[in-house]
Amino acid sequence: MSPVVITLVDLLSKIKRKIDQFPASDISSSRFGKAEFRDFYDNIEQEMSGLLEPIVSLIDFNRVKLTPKEVTIELKAYLVESWGNRTRIDYGSGHELNFMMFLFAIKRLGLLNVDEHDYNSDLSADTRKPFKLDDENQNDHTDATSLVLKVFVSYLGTMRAIQYMYWLEPAGSHGVWGLDDYHFLPFLFGSSQLACHKYLKPISIHNADYLDMYADKYLYFGCIKFINQVKTASSLRWHSPMLDDISGVKTWGKVNQGMIKMYMAEVLGKLPVMQHFMFGKIINAPLGLSQALPNGQDGENHVHYFWAECCGIKIPSAIAASANEHKGHENFKKMPSTPQPLPFD
Amino acid sequence: MSRMAASIHDSSSNTTLGYDPLNTGVNNFQPQGKYDPSILFTASSNIEDLDQWIDQLWQCRLLTEEQVGKLCTLAKTIFLTESNVQQVKSPVTVCGDIHGQFYDLIELFKIGGPCPNTNYLFMGDYVDRGYHSIETVTLLISLKVRYPNRITILRGNHESRQITQVYGFYDECTRKYGNANVWRLLTDVFDYLPLTALIENRIFCLHGGLSPSIDTLDQVRSLDRFQEVPHEGSMCDLLWSDPDERCGWGISPRGAGYTFGQDISESFNHANRLSLIARAHQLVMDGYSWGQGQHVVTIFSAPNYCYRCGNQAAIMEIDENLGYLFLQFDPSPKDGEPNITRRTPEYFL
Repeated sequence: MSPVVITLVDLLSKIKRKIDQFPASDISSSRFGKAEFRDFYDNIEQEMSGLLEPIVSLIDFNRVKLTPKEVTIELKAYLVESWGNRTRIDYGSGHELNFMMFLFAIKRLGLLNVDEHDYNSDLSADTRKPFKLDDENQNDHTDATSLVLKVFVSYLGTMRAIQYMYWLEPAGSHGVWGLDDYHFLPFLFGSSQLACHKYLKPISIHNADYLDMYADKYLYFGCIKFINQVKTASSLRWHSPMLDDISGVKTWGKVNQGMIKMYMAEVLGKLPVMQHFMFGKIINAPLGLSQALPNGQDGENHVHYFWAECCGIKIPSAIAASANEHKGHENFKKMPSTPQPLPFD
Repeated sequence: MSRMAASIHDSSSNTTLGYDPLNTGVNNFQPQGKYDPSILFTASSNIEDLDQWIDQLWQCRLLTEEQVGKLCTLAKTIFLTESNVQQVKSPVTVCGDIHGQFYDLIELFKIGGPCPNTNYLFMGDYVDRGYHSIETVTLLISLKVRYPNRITILRGNHESRQITQVYGFYDECTRKYGNANVWRLLTDVFDYLPLTALIENRIFCLHGGLSPSIDTLDQVRSLDRFQEVPHEGSMCDLLWSDPDERCGWGISPRGAGYTFGQDISESFNHANRLSLIARAHQLVMDGYSWGQGQHVVTIFSAPNYCYRCGNQAAIMEIDENLGYLFLQFDPSPKDGEPNITRRTPEYFL
């Protein structure tokens, strides 16, 4: 693992340890989620600059032409958002996206060695052996493998501990009609991890012995086992018909391509998610984005960061409208031409 | 089928909600279990159809697209006659979000008593997230058309074209019927659902909560509700707002509607001579939750929401004297496998 990856894993384990400092009580409130989540969240936010310091100190500031303060503010924004919403005490794929944007920002700052991946490539043509989660020496000359199997998996473990401790509500969950109430990317990464596996097939997720054997080695199997544990319906076919449908796909490579398409359409292409996306000096807003809406659209606890393009910048409504046209919803009424945040429930 | 765990939770079941018998038509209440045959839509052929549909849906078997079309036509004519503030007589059992949890709805009817023997008032959010939104909402609409005076179904924020395209109902319709026609038929009916109900002039029932642009029930009555749920304005607020610990009006973190404090609900109840606002819209661990000095109660009727939240569900029985009783219940056990064949989602073809 490269020094940056080691630093990232260390940062995540520090955050995970903080959960124990703010245990949830049994006091019920009008909200489903536990109010102590806000204490945990505030503490992380307060200490984030210090937590990020080991990462920021690795940056070559002559090259990136930003000040350490500017970099810290933006990295902090993404990493704080990665743990869920403080006001609503919930979590969804938009928060997960913020963690990826944190990693992407670190890559943009020149700290990570990751090849540009062609997501149309057929992964099953890859003849290498699949990397396992518990392999110590993942023989990859780039950071790509350890970014997923070490850093992202560590984030996932921390996030599950948070969801469990504070009863985060699923933000904008599609219920049984989505992959999972909270996460998307473990399925995308997990299918890619298995793309060149000789024997395991997508249909193997229905085999309980395989789930037990491979949950610690393969992300996808780990996720299925986890869902079977937390969901109380008698079978995966009841609580996760999407995953059941996907298990009928022939190869993991095909599953992975589908996951990427689905992620683009259902997460990156959806206004309820993307209206919260933050742009700044590291990840620049694309040309043509309108200014942020006035304060308040995100609730009274919405924190405004110091750079000009604050979190309020909305994805142009045309993107959502065209995504819906693409899906062929004849009756769908087009969004108004001015960006308007979508309510969520 | 294992027995449900209904618990009679509130020992003070005879608590009344400030009911004033001189002001209400409680004596006009008709005995339960008798269906009033004078209803326009009960041509005998329709009754036969409806009874057959209800039987079929009770076994969780979908109606055909043609049947749904016929049901929707009948339903619209009934909803057209209902007010934005639909008058409801006690006794009545008030229910919150269902979200396509069909077998839990059947459990609810076991605990509350079958319709039409028990009068029901549902406060919206029948669809999205759960596996059986279509079966759930078509069963409720069929019961409504069959027993219009015995069951009232209000509109929730999920009874909307826009929201159902995001949270599962649209996907479920295309998955189960192969096209979006049934989604189109049902979301058209959603435009006709009443927004609120008023039990014996004392208990105001609605999905979300209050609106800063509404002070009186007459203002609700004068809304033009026959449309898609707007992004803002009073109709949107009624379906989206939440009570909050803070006083006054607040910006809702949901992005629609408002939060309102105890001062707001107190003065609204006072001005409209109400004793209580009953609403749904929020997941609560015990299935019901009192708020704002007992001016507001939240009722949530989807147990173990999304198969994972571990919450109980509840319904609120209101008797002739406006005494109330909460019945809590746990999820119905599900056995076996769904009888739907696997189909590869479009992204994965």
